[in-house]
Amino acid sequence: MRSSRDEPSEHAPETAGAPAIEGASPPGRRGWSARILGGGTEPDPRFTLANERTFLAWIRTALALLAGGVAVEAFTSDTFASPVRTALAVVLLLLAMVLAVAAGVRWLAVERAMRRQAPLPLSILVPVLAGGGALVAAAFLVVVLGNA
Amino acid sequence: MLALVVAGVLLLRWVPRYGWFPLGLTLLTAATALAITAGQARRYRRSARGIRVGRIEADVVGVLGTTAAVALLGALALVVVVALPLR
Repeated sequence: MRSSRDEPSEHAPETAGAPAIEGASPPGRRGWSARILGGGTEPDPRFTLANERTFLAWIRTALALLAGGVAVEAFTSDTFASPVRTALAVVLLLLAMVLAVAAGVRWLAVERAMRRQAPLPLSILVPVLAGGGALVAAAFLVVVLGNA
Repeated sequence: MLALVVAGVLLLRWVPRYGWFPLGLTLLTAATALAITAGQARRYRRSARGIRVGRIEADVVGVLGTTAAVALLGALALVVVVALPLR
């Protein structure tokens, strides 16, 4: 039984049905891009796209933290003293930066692992986000209870 | 893209407090969001084509560019909070 993937198509590109060659880059991939990905074979496209979606989810989280940092600095002048407000904003903005960079690093590590059929690496993002979120929440709690 | 716009619009709230520098950050986020929007159709076609033929190239430029843009935005926002004097 032939799948739709096997059927010839007028839109089928030059790579359709091409065998994966270990260590080879697909046609058209630039040298530096191939170097960053570190060789191997292209994984199933659904996995590549899933990796990109996960990266985008982490980037959204980083942007939410960034917006949170901006909001704390901009809107809480009646609630927190200036040093506390600045410290909370700095922690949130630092967390956003770390998450953004770690999301890119994680995407690359997962992409490389998939191209080599190696086990997926553990992500540092989860403990960083959990620890940072808990730290900021605890600081908020202490300040709010202290003001009460 | 929308998350970038929301973050950029929130930065406008800093303009009365820190001057015009945050407005530059808003423009940076708007430009990044615009660039992402402009490439949406191309990325969709590339993904659909990749699924059809069973092979797709990882978007190294897109991912690393987005990472750099968000990290830069965070760094510049930190500069605003830590280094810029209040007006």
